Amino acid sequence: MDFEFTRDQLMFKKEIIRFAKKEIVPRIQAFELKKQFDFESFRKLGEFGILGLHFPEAYGGGGADVITTVLAGEALGEAGVDGGLTLAYGAHTFLCADTIFRHGTEAQRRKYIPKLASGEWIGCMGLTEPNAGSDVASMRTTAEKRGDTYVLNGGKIFITNGPIADVAVVYAKTDPEKKHAGISAFIVEKGTKGFSSGPNILKMGVCTSQTSELFFSDCVIPAQNLLGTENEGFNMSLQTVEWDRSALLAPFIGASTYMLNRCVEYAKKREQFGRAIAQFQSIKHKIANIRIFGEAARGLVYRIAWCKDQGRPLNHLEAAVAKLFVGDWSMAPSNDAVVLFGGYGYCHEYDMERIFRDSRLAPIGGGTSDIQKMIISKLI
Amino acid sequence: MNYDFSPQEFDFCIKLHEAMSPYAEEKIEALRSAADLRYHLDQILSLLADTPYLKLGIMPVEGLNGLVTLMSALEAIAAISPSVALSIGHGTHIFGRIIDAWGDVAQKQKWLNPLLSGKLLGAVALCEESLNTDSDALITSGVRNGNWVTVNGHKPHVVNAPIADWIAVAGSLDHRPVLFIIEKENPGVSIRARKRTLGYEGTAMADIRLEGCIVPMDQVIAMGRSDGLSGIRLFENQLLTGLSLGLMKSAFEAAKSHAKTHKSGGKPIIAYQEIGFKLSEMLTLYQTAQLFALRAASSAQTRPREAESLALCAKVFCTEACETVSGEALRILGTAGYEVGKGAERAYRCAKYGQIAGTSTEIARVRIGDQALGLRV
Repeated sequence: MDFEFTRDQLMFKKEIIRFAKKEIVPRIQAFELKKQFDFESFRKLGEFGILGLHFPEAYGGGGADVITTVLAGEALGEAGVDGGLTLAYGAHTFLCADTIFRHGTEAQRRKYIPKLASGEWIGCMGLTEPNAGSDVASMRTTAEKRGDTYVLNGGKIFITNGPIADVAVVYAKTDPEKKHAGISAFIVEKGTKGFSSGPNILKMGVCTSQTSELFFSDCVIPAQNLLGTENEGFNMSLQTVEWDRSALLAPFIGASTYMLNRCVEYAKKREQFGRAIAQFQSIKHKIANIRIFGEAARGLVYRIAWCKDQGRPLNHLEAAVAKLFVGDWSMAPSNDAVVLFGGYGYCHEYDMERIFRDSRLAPIGGGTSDIQKMIISKLI
Repeated sequence: MNYDFSPQEFDFCIKLHEAMSPYAEEKIEALRSAADLRYHLDQILSLLADTPYLKLGIMPVEGLNGLVTLMSALEAIAAISPSVALSIGHGTHIFGRIIDAWGDVAQKQKWLNPLLSGKLLGAVALCEESLNTDSDALITSGVRNGNWVTVNGHKPHVVNAPIADWIAVAGSLDHRPVLFIIEKENPGVSIRARKRTLGYEGTAMADIRLEGCIVPMDQVIAMGRSDGLSGIRLFENQLLTGLSLGLMKSAFEAAKSHAKTHKSGGKPIIAYQEIGFKLSEMLTLYQTAQLFALRAASSAQTRPREAESLALCAKVFCTEACETVSGEALRILGTAGYEVGKGAERAYRCAKYGQIAGTSTEIARVRIGDQALGLRV
């Protein structure tokens, strides 16, 4: 066993932190308050190579391994990048672009991956429906084959990047009788007749990410926009879980380091009863709790990434354990951080309250904690 | 990066489990006389001496990964007999690592060879009467007289005290921290009655009083640096972390097995979502703790400067997770688990020791906080 990163990986992580602190972090507060997406920061992520990090260079990517890709997500969190931007990056790169890369034809790859890797285009993924969240088989959106086209009808909800996406990977039933085995995936471009998105849904946290419904009303797309094979969509959606349990969780780990550093900084400066609050044991305990969470969670996330790098099939038990731990156990340290900052922790001026709100998504997005418990209890 | 155990490590842990199977905890904790307990431990030590177990963390073993393998081995043994794992952890691993880290060539020759061949059992007496070495100075001290030292002091709650051959006693000499390696039969050493404890009932624990105990200077180990005591605490914390994994394993397995076989309302109780979810949370804590313990152990080998702090984080997490997991296991087991001597009940009682012994979880949090704040490194 060896838990060490390579020197190059660590140097790259430092580079990302430096870049993010300089180019992205100073812009967060303004966009967070307006609950707007920061296109400029997203474009900078593309320029730096983060959006396409794991894609081959031939497609405009960085050719990085999974560990390095996950480390990049952790670095963004550690730099203090908000959960809204890291969520937008996750949905764009791993849920949309990676699905196209993995299951698309060479023509589809050539058409979409370079634009998505650079950030020129923004991607989203439409799976969840009002009555089909974790229960994907209950999906009602349909894709009917008509000659050389598919006609999509239905709607999606809670779609990250929905209002701003140039391209969407959309899951729809091609054989409604077959439940899971009747789902297919399609590429739908913005501007396609019959395809529209709703307004941004205001959320408790991850506020700079834009979330909306997607509507399909006799939306006709060319048959060549089918991803992979017909009725294989459910398996494709499961394959994004590997990224969900590694790269998408990594920013939460990074955020815990950011909280730790901010709490340390504040505790040293803030004085009460004639001394820095860092001198009080209860403050030290809170700081310790934040560190312990981050250290405990880190191994789980990198284990998934390492296994993916080895080409192993996803271990669903380990993946669910990672998601459940990061989801449910991340709330206490973010709460500790808010309380440590006192009144300032409750105010927008300091970013602890934002991280607290952002962390609420961890037990919900990408499969709720209850779903993880269902998976684990079935696999035990 | 590599998250896999080597084939040799797998093979070793399986063999260790098989070898230890006859020494289940109920058999060990029934042994109330020190002589009987020592007799059984000698048998186990002799058996373990034929495996690489006793050497782990003290000397390299081909195909095995030192402290990382030790962590898994501790889990395997503690799941069968936590008391044996604790006794040998103190008597061989901590005692041996002390000699290995700070002993001179002659001292290593004198104690390490018999220790690693299972012919010697040690004890380590660190705590003072105040039950604390983290904030208070050592009171036990020696006065030099030529080539001899006269030692006086009182060490409470010493694991293995009634059954050890040699005791490593932390104290001061010429205002510097040292370890006096004292033979149990040495005049001036008095071992008090074996204590009854909440958990680890098969471990012999007692107070030691040293009154005018004269030891030769070649049995004094200078720890070189003033943080030697922290080093011993690190060894102890690593041991307690590994033990908590074994306790969690036995509690989780007991609860899982019960949930699959015990029926209520005509179906196994695991079929009820609340039970399944509880088991899921327990497994999540257990797996997270496993990985954390292994990473902290690995870090102790590759990045020793960061080892103490990460080991403290792992110790706090694993020992607290152990109490949660064993407590939840008891809830799943219902009254079936409440009976004394059952896996989860025992794990629940032993879990408390993990939080109290070594660096207590409260002190550990202060130290982790201090380290993050740059107040103490």
